[in-house]
Amino acid sequence: MVGDEKTEGDSSVGTRTSARGSQEPTGESDTEPKIERRGNRREPAIGGDKPETAIAIDGLTVDFEAVRALRDVDLRVDSGEFVTVIGPSGCGKTTLLRTVGGLQEPTDGRVCVDGESPDSARRRGEFGFVFQQHALLPWKSALENVVFLRRMAGKSADRERARELLGTVGLAGFEESRPAELSGGMAQRVAIARALHLGADVLLMDEPFGELDELTREEMGVEVRRVWRERRKTVLFVTHSVSEAVFLADRCVVMSDAPGEIEGVFDVDLPRPRDESVYGTEAFQEQVAAVRTALHEGYERRRSLDEGP
Amino acid sequence: MSYADRVPAARLSLPAAALATGVLAWWAVVALLDLPPYLLPTPAAVADRLLVSPDLYLRNAWVTLRTIATGGLAGVLAGFGMAAVVAHSTFLRRALYPYLVTARVLPKVAVAPLLLVYLGTGSGTAVTFVALVAFFPTFVSSAGGLRATPEAHLDLLRSVDAGPVRTFVFVRLPAALPAVFAGLKQSAALAVVGAVVAEWVLTDEGLGYLVLVGAENVQTDVVVAAVVVLFVEGLAVYGAVAAVENWVSW
Repeated sequence: MVGDEKTEGDSSVGTRTSARGSQEPTGESDTEPKIERRGNRREPAIGGDKPETAIAIDGLTVDFEAVRALRDVDLRVDSGEFVTVIGPSGCGKTTLLRTVGGLQEPTDGRVCVDGESPDSARRRGEFGFVFQQHALLPWKSALENVVFLRRMAGKSADRERARELLGTVGLAGFEESRPAELSGGMAQRVAIARALHLGADVLLMDEPFGELDELTREEMGVEVRRVWRERRKTVLFVTHSVSEAVFLADRCVVMSDAPGEIEGVFDVDLPRPRDESVYGTEAFQEQVAAVRTALHEGYERRRSLDEGP
Repeated sequence: MSYADRVPAARLSLPAAALATGVLAWWAVVALLDLPPYLLPTPAAVADRLLVSPDLYLRNAWVTLRTIATGGLAGVLAGFGMAAVVAHSTFLRRALYPYLVTARVLPKVAVAPLLLVYLGTGSGTAVTFVALVAFFPTFVSSAGGLRATPEAHLDLLRSVDAGPVRTFVFVRLPAALPAVFAGLKQSAALAVVGAVVAEWVLTDEGLGYLVLVGAENVQTDVVVAAVVVLFVEGLAVYGAVAAVENWVSW
């Protein structure tokens, strides 16, 4: 399994410094078992079987008029890696995703996707987006929705393939259903099939399960992991659910807000492939706790800075 | 499944029964109150009018229909085109939208005499007036509908670099169809009114003119016969728009 090799390779390269650098003197990462917390700037690959970088973000800052949404964000995502981004609402995680996807211009810093700008990667059809709202066209059937976006991307649509993909996400038999006839979870599955049908290498998912109930979320998580494993995509997945962030990830990026910064990056050490049983394991609980702690630390520090001198 | 699919009999029989009741009530009022024909003719007298000179009514109905169709079509096409432009241009929207929306409250009837001054009498002026009247509802509704495309849909299309033309044809337009047709139906109704007003003020033919002449000669049966034909014509125009909507909408 490629994922396993990669993670092992990463840990040998990973430096155990906090993303916050000098601001955070404690070395809490050493006390956490099975978890690697470390800086997100990686050493350059020195030969070997180091996977190539799919997304490279350097010193990214994004302003919306007077508001700084993202400040000085550095992140590397390897090709074929599943990276989740978690943070409080308004921490700029969606902005990060949109900037990577070429839907938002950076104010400062640089984003590279396969060595080119996000905008030209977008034009080349490098991205499959899944948004929080499924954004299915209500006047088209599930199958037509899947086919439609690929056609809009200027590629020849393949109905048989689209049918297959709907089967892959568990929607065989619902090809002709309209979005209004589908549940939220089913509609989001169609949206995932639609993104997969684009054949893009990079999947950008923005809280795609945000409006689903807990049980459906967990099921969808298992399924997304499975689809990702089968198709070897690079996935950047934004969520506000800690357990989702840990369950899905090879690496989990924790952000703090106002302005959005990376608080820490965690290597997730869980069995692969994963199924629902992982949720009950101690390893899973420990890593959820570690990510949650990092989230709270970032949150507390931001609030104390606000009150302080 | 629409109401008509489920209960086809009710769809046809209920309005027919209502119409029959209305005609009977009309007849009863004339008979019971013993109204003179110049105040209100009986349904029979009106039917008689229509049967005695069908060619007169058909010819004028055709003239009016032509005015409604050409003027209405020109008006709604211009209204929709303008809406498409305004929906895409922030500059134009900021500059023009307030006026184009408030122009709805301007009684367009007041403009008819002006058109008479500029364009003279004749069917061309009538068509222009109908176009002017039909323009606004379609414009306002379509502009609203085209602006209201969900952001998520636009992001989706941008994410695959679909471009403005595809985005318009495949997402903005279909998403706006309900709003566009709401505007078109209002335009259709107003086009009929506009045609009648135009025939009063601007021309000397058509059902509107027939109403005017009949009233001047106190021939109420002529007037009511013309109104009945106009009613049928208005229904047909509105029905045509509704039929197109049924055909294209989702």
